Amino acid sequence: VPPDGAPFPPGRYKPPATETNPALEDPTPDYMNLLGMVFSMCGLMLKLKWCAWIAVYCSFISFANSRSSEDTKQMMSSFMLSISAVVMSYLQNPQPMSPPW
Amino acid sequence: MKNLYIFIAVLFIPWSFSLAKYDEFEDGDDIMEYDDNDFAEFEDVSEETVTESPQKIITTEDDEEEATVELEGQDENQEDFDDTDTQEGDTESEPYDDEEFEGYEEKPDASHSKNKDPITIVNVPAHLQNSWESYYMEILMVTGLLAYIMNYIIGKNKNNRLAHAWFNVHRELLESNFALVGDDGTNKEATSTGKLNQENEHIYNLWCSGRVCCEGMLIQLKFLKRQDLLNVLARMMRPASDQVQIKVTMNDEDMDTYVFAVGTRKALVRLQKEMQDLSEFCSDKPKSGAKYGLPDSLAILSEMGEVTEGMMDAKMIHFLTHYADKIESVQFSDQFSGPKLMQEEGQLTKLPETKKTLLFTFNVPGSGNTSPKDMESLLPLMSMVIYSIDKAKKFRLNREGKQKADKNRARVEENFLKLTHVQRQEAAQSRREEKKRAEKERIMNEEDPEKQRRLEEAALRREQKKLEKKQMKMKQIKVKAM
Repeated sequence: VPPDGAPFPPGRYKPPATETNPALEDPTPDYMNLLGMVFSMCGLMLKLKWCAWIAVYCSFISFANSRSSEDTKQMMSSFMLSISAVVMSYLQNPQPMSPPW
Repeated sequence: MKNLYIFIAVLFIPWSFSLAKYDEFEDGDDIMEYDDNDFAEFEDVSEETVTESPQKIITTEDDEEEATVELEGQDENQEDFDDTDTQEGDTESEPYDDEEFEGYEEKPDASHSKNKDPITIVNVPAHLQNSWESYYMEILMVTGLLAYIMNYIIGKNKNNRLAHAWFNVHRELLESNFALVGDDGTNKEATSTGKLNQENEHIYNLWCSGRVCCEGMLIQLKFLKRQDLLNVLARMMRPASDQVQIKVTMNDEDMDTYVFAVGTRKALVRLQKEMQDLSEFCSDKPKSGAKYGLPDSLAILSEMGEVTEGMMDAKMIHFLTHYADKIESVQFSDQFSGPKLMQEEGQLTKLPETKKTLLFTFNVPGSGNTSPKDMESLLPLMSMVIYSIDKAKKFRLNREGKQKADKNRARVEENFLKLTHVQRQEAAQSRREEKKRAEKERIMNEEDPEKQRRLEEAALRREQKKLEKKQMKMKQIKVKAM
């Protein structure tokens, strides 16, 4: 009930597209997704363990920053790819990772 | 039989040893050779071959591990010899029968004497150590991941609690002012959901509508990304605060034409650069609000002095002074179209659509370390928003002001048209060419020769008509000029 006392018109109830272009807002999840895939491919092809681990981190970060409208399939596929990169690197070479120093 | 067992034991230990290192056997041929040798050894039950096999296995491996495997292989062999002997209950004091292992004896002795002199302690590769400690980097990584997941859950829950605390505090005020509180656009009918709409783990929306003068109000609770550990760490270096953004869309008839903004100096400078309307209509730098009794931290951007005078009434000044620390920016604009769009040349042919809008950005106190209780302090700011809506409706420019405002808008439009004139001409030209090309293609593609002729004639006629029209126009212009 509006305080004016004046009759209120049946206003526009539908919310507008909350952001006309959500991609403009924050590109982090997309970048992280892409980075994750690149790193996991590097890890698989070049058999670099640290690449694979970074890929796992990237896919986690992408998931944390994702919008609710984002496709879960994309998230899951990047996540699975990074996990498979880690697993494959260890199957091929069970040696532990050596620190860079 | 005993001999056979011992042969097998001798063979299997180094064989399984080398199998553990897959990467050594990259070349398929090596494996084949090795297998052949292995089976060959079984067939040929001679001691020489038995003794040679450990050596052979060793030589196919990498140089690095040769020494260690040799040593260890030798050790293992001897140990296992002992073991098998004891298992089988061999009561002989010697580890093995001298008669049976003639050839073998020599070799170990020979290599043993070789190894006696330079006793080199070789580092056993980490993965052969069989201890978890060697995998400390992996454990670190997994711990990091777990920490990230924990932070995600904790951050998500905190944001959720803050959002609901805000909503609970403001619910009453909103419900008394708006008929519709909360709508996510999915229902066909317009019914209040009475709930926040979660867009993200850190952004919550609320749409309110059904009030005089405004079409609707969109409230966005833009919290910090507490669910992302990277962001949390970045914030430790650069503190930031949660924000509440309120966008009120006014009805066309309920707001006069003016552009006005007040807020922190930093925010206004940034907005002036970014926002289309502020950059076009408010050309001066943000002025200090001290003239009106505002604290130094706040500045004013306005289209003309009259608007500032009209806006800064007692109640508004009261709001602004009391809650200056929480106000980031307040923008009233009839030409609001969002931030400046970066468009490529040739694409900008129309002015962006504008809407009469009131924009408010408030900072939640606590600068990151907010608790649900802090949300109560934002309630008066919502009252300010409601008051501003009514004020914007009531405030009308006088005749002079209106003239100035209209002139400004006409000027902006003219500038825009001039800029895009060339582009629009080019666009029209290209459109015409496209049409001609399409026509020609159609004519070419027509299989029937008769139809082709007819279409060509039709096209010719159309062009002639156009030429005639142009000539007529030129004649008319000439006549008028005369």
